[in-house]
Parts: sequence; structure tokens; C-alpha cells
Amino acid sequence: MTVCVWCQRPLKTSLTLAQFWRWGPVTPPDICAPCQKRLTPIGDQHCPQCGRQQMTCQLCQDCQRWDQPLVNRALYCYDAEMKAYMQQYKFQGDYALRRVLQRALATALTQLTYDILVPIPIAQSTWQSRGFNQVTGWLTGQAYYQVLQVIDQDKATPQSAKNRTQRLLTPQPFTLASQAKDLCHGQRVLLLDDVYTTGRTLRHAATQINLTGAKAVTSLTLAR
Amino acid sequence: MIEDDVLFGRQVPLEGPPQLPNVVAQPAIKRVGQRQQCQRCWQWLRPQDQLPNGTWYCRQCLQMGRLTSQHKLYTISEPNRFSMLAKSPLTWSGQLSAQQWTAAQDVMTQMRAQHNHLLWAVTGAGKTEIVYPALAWALQRGWRVAWASPRVDVCLELAPRLRQAFQAITQTVLYGDQLEPYRYCQLTICTTHQLLRFKAAFDWVIVDEVDAFPLAMSPLLQEAIQHAQKASGSHLYLTATPDERLQRQVARHQLTVTYVPLRYHGHLLPQIQVQVTWQWRRRLQRRGLPAVILRQIQHFLTERRPFLIFVPHVADLVLVERALKLAGISGGATVHASDPERQAKVQAMRDQQLTFLVTTTILERGVTFPGIAVLILGGDDPIFSTAALVQIAGRVGRSSQDPTGSVICYCQTHTQTIRAARGMIARLNWQGKRQGGQP
Repeated sequence: MTVCVWCQRPLKTSLTLAQFWRWGPVTPPDICAPCQKRLTPIGDQHCPQCGRQQMTCQLCQDCQRWDQPLVNRALYCYDAEMKAYMQQYKFQGDYALRRVLQRALATALTQLTYDILVPIPIAQSTWQSRGFNQVTGWLTGQAYYQVLQVIDQDKATPQSAKNRTQRLLTPQPFTLASQAKDLCHGQRVLLLDDVYTTGRTLRHAATQINLTGAKAVTSLTLAR
Repeated sequence: MIEDDVLFGRQVPLEGPPQLPNVVAQPAIKRVGQRQQCQRCWQWLRPQDQLPNGTWYCRQCLQMGRLTSQHKLYTISEPNRFSMLAKSPLTWSGQLSAQQWTAAQDVMTQMRAQHNHLLWAVTGAGKTEIVYPALAWALQRGWRVAWASPRVDVCLELAPRLRQAFQAITQTVLYGDQLEPYRYCQLTICTTHQLLRFKAAFDWVIVDEVDAFPLAMSPLLQEAIQHAQKASGSHLYLTATPDERLQRQVARHQLTVTYVPLRYHGHLLPQIQVQVTWQWRRRLQRRGLPAVILRQIQHFLTERRPFLIFVPHVADLVLVERALKLAGISGGATVHASDPERQAKVQAMRDQQLTFLVTTTILERGVTFPGIAVLILGGDDPIFSTAALVQIAGRVGRSSQDPTGSVICYCQTHTQTIRAARGMIARLNWQGKRQGGQP
């Protein structure tokens, strides 16, 4: 019997007529219908820059304050349920929960146009203790390149424990890998991260990628 | 720097090895043959539980903090660092009835022989008090004892009673989201999940409400009981409605049993009255509660009798609340498992500030409200098992001043589970009558 990855309740799967006639293998869903409803997808009405869910399609307040434009798309609202998910997946380290968002991300990636995919890396110490990179965990076989590297800093306060002003003052944490110039030159680069909060991290990453002579830099995050 | 008593009989993942004598360390995830086994919850890891950096992590006991194969569990074997007492530590002033006393002697004999035992006592028989003499004997000899329950409500209600009854004994309460740090105490009251943090610590483990969710269907928690008790230790199960598995063990003589078919005040259990209410759910979604139910509620209100309304699902709470408001009935509240004000509402009901509570099955056991009546809405829903129905009926008539009360089950069809629950109550009452019980 299969269970929902998130809530551990038994999954009720029913075979539809369409699936039956297709006569191919049937892949059961990873999460149950109530869990699917817990996350709020961001619709068409969002900020053209950061991708935040809002009533209008105008630039949101946060983006007006930025002088460095960056086009970001986000899949879900960063609400209480998303926070609970991130808490269990990222901070508690439940790697199996990556499957909750894998399909949504795969569909989103097919709809976007880009040449190379660059996930935001994590520090070596985090890699040691957490055991996985939360961003690449969501990928299912899509090709990606670790163009960026993290400069190891002493993490006195983690990013998630800071407020907006403190986060905006974060110094550049990324450097370019040795093969970065060859890979990114003249290419359309898509950055991939988990949460867009202030946009500081993604803009730091975009600055570095721009140095390689990339044609365009856009980004995709799971939550905003 | 940590004290050594934090590690007595426990398994704690620490950053580095503590500078203490007699510490034993072992890897948290152990490779056994081709498979990996978590040393805290004793479950096998699945092949997909490997992380990209090559370490393994246990998903089964993740809520208690993640364990990976990089972690080590530190333990010091239980030394029983308690003083032997000259006289019994029991400071409870109540009196056991004759049949309670017989049961208590039985429990004591089995405990001293270190046999695993089941105390099958009807709801409201005074299970807790029946255990007191045996518990006093054990604590006097410096045994370390755990009183565990799958339900946190049960633990929280029990803790003050045990503190009253054994004032000289150091006690602590452990449950999931508490703030207090761990203390080494002779009597540990905890949820069954917390037993996972112990290893060969207790001489005697008492498991209250052993058939309750999630213990009944969780092999993890059943193993936890086995590993928390010492090799020489034993356990005592307490329940009013043992499940199939336990009844089978009793039938095969793998588990000894003591029956208490009569409540402490000598009155029989209230029988469930079944009232077939055609399409109550559809009526609830459209207009409101059926007239027959509303009339019953009005009757309770004029009688000034507090009551509980059990509904099968959390989603039904809103509908019932709306229906009651439409009918002009107020003075109650709704409560469900993840309600933030759950404790406060139950306490308000206990203090008689509320006249009724609309609840899901979370209040089916372990709570006592004096002189209440119970209505079960949709008793034919699969969520109400036979055990659940018997437990719900057992909320009624628990005090000796008011030993009667009605239990009415509204359902669309008269199902097998309802029939079985009525049968179980009838059988217990038949046994109780032979011991001189009055209706």
C-alpha cells in the first residue's frame, strides 16, 4: 500500500478511463489530494519582477525599491503551509519530502525558456550536516550546472533568522567556478532557489553570472 | 557540560563524547547484513532513505530530531540511583472497593513475578487507583517506573493525580512539544513516543489506554515499550477495550489478565441507545440538525445537564456549530485535535463554564466530566470503531453521585460495529450483574 509522502496517510488512487485506455504504466501521485490543496499556487496575477501573488500586475513595493531588476517566477505563496513544508524538508532534513514538489517543478521548467540551469549552492558545512542540497533535490534528471560556489563564512545567524534590513546587508556569498565563463557566455541562464524573500541572494548570484557574459539571467523559486 | 543522570537509561545524540565515566556510545544507524537499522526506533530503513552525501537517515522517528549515520547515541546503563524507603510512599487517602482490592492484589502478584500483565477494567472502574498498591510497592524498593500513554491528554490529566498520590517521589512529565528540560526521576509519566528515547531504563512500564491510536497500529511504538524496559523488567497494560491482538494473546496464555467488569461505584455501564435518523448528513448540510436531535438537546438544556456531541470528522464541526446557532442554542464550543485552544476548552468544560462540547473522537477516552450525557452523530461512520463507541459510552455516569445518563447514537444504518459495541457493553454488564452490580 502506498502512503502520502507528506501526511503518511494511505493514498487512495483510482484508475481513470483515460489512464486505462492509454495502456501504459500508471504512476501513482506522491501526495494525497488534501495535501495538494495545502499549498497555494501563484496564478497569473503576480508582480512582473519578483513573482509575488497580488491583485494587480504592477510592480510591487519591494521591487520598486530595488535598483537592480531581476525577473523571477515563483510557483507557490510562502504562507504558513509552505513554511511548515520548508521546516520539515530543509531544517528537519526530511529528504523524502522532495517528492512533494518535484512534479510541479518539472512542469514549470518545461514552460520556461532557458539554456542552462544553475541551482543556488549551499555551504560545505551545511552540506555536511544536512546531507543534501534542498534545491537540487527537487530536480528529476534535468541537466544543471554548479556554476556558483559558496565562500565559507562563519554563519553566526542563519539567513532565515534575519530581518529585512539585515538580509539586505548580506555581503556577496558566491564566487564563480573555474569553468563558469565557458558555460555561461552568451547563454540564457535560469537560477533556481527555494524561497524568494528579499531577493538579495538571487541578485548576488545574478551579479556573478552577469560577469561571465551571459545573455540573460532570470530566476525561478518554489516560493515567494 | 551535562550531568551524568541525563544519560541514565537513555539514548541521547550529542555533539561530542561527554567526559563522563561509563558512557557507552553506539552509531545511531547500524548496518545489519544488507540493511540499515535505526538504533532508536528499531525500524529498518528503506533503500530510498539515503542522502546524496552518502549518509542514511531514519524517517520513522524524524519528529524526535533527525538521526543520521553520522550521529552517535550515548547511554549510561540505568543505576537506579534512588533511595530505598522505609515505608510505603503512597499518600493517597481514598479507599479501594472490595473488587478493586482483589484486582489490585492480582496486579501486585503478577508484577512481583515480573510477568507482563493486562488489566481489563471497564471505563470508570478506577484503573489508576487499582494500580496504586503495586506502584507503591515498586517505588518503595527503588524501582524506576514509567507510566506511558499514547495520548498526551491522558498524561496531562494523570500527572497531578500521581503527584498527589506519591508526594515523596520525584516525578516528571514528558511529551512532544514541552518546554521543560529532561529531569532524571523515579516516576516518569510520558507519551509512548517519548519511550523511544530510553533504553533498558525501567523496571516496570505501565501502558495506559493501550488500544488507543496510534499505539494500536504502530509496530514502532510497540517495540519502544519492549526496549524501554529492562531485560528483567515487565509491563502492565491498562484498557477498557482490548483489541483483537491483545485478546488473542490472552487466549493463548501469552499474557495474564485481570478482569474488572464493574465500575467502582457498583453501577452498570450505560447501554448505547440507537436512533436511526434517515439522511441526517444531508439534512445537516442543507438546513440543520434533524428535529429529533434538536429536541434531545433542548431536553438536556432544560435539565441543565452538560453534554458532549461526537462527530466523525473535523469538517462536521463547522456544520454542527452552524446548525446549533440556527436553532438558537449557545453556550458550547467545538474542539478537535489540532485546535490551539484545545486544553483551555476542555478545562472550561470541566469547570462547567461550557454547557456542551462538539468534538471529534479525541475526547473519546481519558477525560472525565461529572454528570454528562453523550450524543454520537453518525455512529455508523467507520471512524467510530467498536472500541471507540464503548469508550465514548464510558464517559457517562462516572461519578457516584450521578451514575446514570444517556448515550444516544444517531446513525443512518445499524452497523456491525454498533451492534458489536452494544454486545460488548451487554456482556460486561452481565458479568457485572453477577458480581452484584445495580443498573
